[in-house]
Amino acid sequence: MQQLQNPSASEPLTQPTPVSKIQSWLVDQLADVLSLDPTTIDVKQPLTRYGLDSIDAVTLVGDLEDWLDLELPSTLLWDYPSIEKAAAHMVEEFDVTL
Amino acid sequence: MTLAQYQLAEQLEQALGNPHQVESLMSFQRTAELDEAEQFPHDEIAWLYSWGLQNYYIPTECGGKFTSFEEFVAFVRVLARRDLNISIAFTTLFWSFLTWMAGSDEQKQTLSQLMSEDHTAMCLAYSEREHGSDLVGGGVTATKVAGGYLLNGEKWPINRATISGVTYVLARTDPDGGNRGLSLFMVEKQYLEPSQYYNLPKIKTHGIRAADMSGIGFSDCFIPDRMLLGPEGHGLELGLKGFQITRALCAAFSQGAADTTMRTTLNFAVNRQLYGKTVIDMPHARRTLTNAFVDMLICDCVNIGAARGFHVATDQFSVWSAVDKYFVPVTLEQVMKETSVVLGSRFYMRDEHDSGVFQKALRDSAIISMFDGSSVVNLHALILQRRQLAKARLRIRQKPDQLAALKVRLAQSFSLDQSLPPFEPNRLELFSRGADDVMQGLESTLADLEAWQGSGQSMSSQPVNQAVLSQVIELGKVILEEINAQDALITQSAFEHGHDQSFESFELAKQYCHLHAAIACILMWMHNRNHEDMQGFFAEGEWLVLSLHRLLSRFRRSLTPPPSTYYENVAQELLQLHQADKMFSIVPFQLAQRSRAPAIAAPCLVT
Repeated sequence: MQQLQNPSASEPLTQPTPVSKIQSWLVDQLADVLSLDPTTIDVKQPLTRYGLDSIDAVTLVGDLEDWLDLELPSTLLWDYPSIEKAAAHMVEEFDVTL
Repeated sequence: MTLAQYQLAEQLEQALGNPHQVESLMSFQRTAELDEAEQFPHDEIAWLYSWGLQNYYIPTECGGKFTSFEEFVAFVRVLARRDLNISIAFTTLFWSFLTWMAGSDEQKQTLSQLMSEDHTAMCLAYSEREHGSDLVGGGVTATKVAGGYLLNGEKWPINRATISGVTYVLARTDPDGGNRGLSLFMVEKQYLEPSQYYNLPKIKTHGIRAADMSGIGFSDCFIPDRMLLGPEGHGLELGLKGFQITRALCAAFSQGAADTTMRTTLNFAVNRQLYGKTVIDMPHARRTLTNAFVDMLICDCVNIGAARGFHVATDQFSVWSAVDKYFVPVTLEQVMKETSVVLGSRFYMRDEHDSGVFQKALRDSAIISMFDGSSVVNLHALILQRRQLAKARLRIRQKPDQLAALKVRLAQSFSLDQSLPPFEPNRLELFSRGADDVMQGLESTLADLEAWQGSGQSMSSQPVNQAVLSQVIELGKVILEEINAQDALITQSAFEHGHDQSFESFELAKQYCHLHAAIACILMWMHNRNHEDMQGFFAEGEWLVLSLHRLLSRFRRSLTPPPSTYYENVAQELLQLHQADKMFSIVPFQLAQRSRAPAIAAPCLVT
């Protein structure tokens, strides 16, 4: 969970909420696998804008499941295609403990 | 054959007659003529409908007779060994699983009737000239209008685009919808306004030259709402899940073709005299064909295991299907290439030796590793799941309850005498969450085999050849070492998303397929060696030692060579199956023999 101690530049360094933790994790993950600068990732933008294709998005859900030890719909990032939407939905719908 | 799931294949064989006899319905002579004339096999397809074969593509709950994919792949092999033009043209019916998976009750009823009574065929219109396998990038649109949609754009190249009544069309319904912007439509062409769609010309191809390989275009073509399949926006998900079904079934086409190339080569090798010997008695030819036969048996273990596993480990098919679709067609392409050496120049001739069926099967089957997701697409699907597969394998070792459930599933997937639950397509998943029972069951499989050593075997079992068992365990440990090493490498390496995967990642994915195949062979043997239909050659297990040796030789060059008697015993089995007209298979069901009456002109319905 090292990433959680390094929220992206777009996140304020105040008390992190579950939503901000998930956002931060997704930003770091996306930056890592697509070799991007995390500060250039806008959580409101569609993930496809950064080159994440359909199967990548499914694979990323698998990584999320591993991180959270939780089963999620494999199409989660198709249905909620930005980091902001996905994080909000997950906290609202699933028993996310962070 | 007491295994009921192979009886339909045997009945179809007998009805079709021996393809070497020119008067049989799908003789090698007749199918060669159709191929030379590049003429669609209308009469042969009509015969199959009259015989009632289409009903075996329709699940029983939808009014048909489909019960298991194991039965399905067996009858597809019967068709494919005669002619891939006919078998591929007829088997586009398997796209109906999209409707069985996602259709409304009304759509299922409509399709069932169209197939069963109106003898309607279907095609899958996903590909586009400019976008290939990039489905999300497709340009065909479906724009919402009152009461339906307007389709625009072209799909190409599409098998049976012209000669079909139903077209499954993947089209973009939301320009900004990304992966949820595509929808799937079950388009019944009889309701379209003819001026609003058109067909593209037949494409000239290297193989399956009698196929209706063409395309379809739409110009403001109105389709009513009822033709939408599943919810709007779910087209990509349905499309990808549908591929999991058809990819595993495609392997059966390759198996049928390989059976024919082996059979025609043996027709030559057991008769041809050279240097005072028959060809089959020459060591190089004999070993070449024996090795090819072993490879065919390996493919059997993979594909029959997968066909049964569909019903049991349905949610793992993003992995099993990718392994099957990569491994079986590619392995059998190599088998044909190696077998051709024994046939010599005749393998290249179009009108010599069994109506030139070897070169035709070679040309026709070359498309199989390409369509419904190429080898690269399948390996890529594995690469993306590879890291999770490694993690899950590590995790499950600490969870005895999950391991116990896994063993039960494996026994059901591989024991041919166990009944299978109905196939539930809604259990398909876009990724397997790291699960692959075959790979993750290796350690417990080896532990069971070790328990068989000495007096550990159950009293009800047939005695096991201890020498064979020791070699299987030894080779099984090599599989374990290799997968452990590969998993360690995968978990330590940086993971790449997307399409920039390295050459090395593809090589590792190929290795994964080979290791999965090796375990499938062990599982098939250990779960069926007591079955009455599998006594003798299969139960003895020498073929298994050769199979494992062949698969693992690509990892280790220093493996102890198997005893030469094993090769000879496997060669003897091959020759016996050839002489008795039986399928070259772990389940060698009876094929139509030359002495039997040829297929009658009027088809008789299977009851």
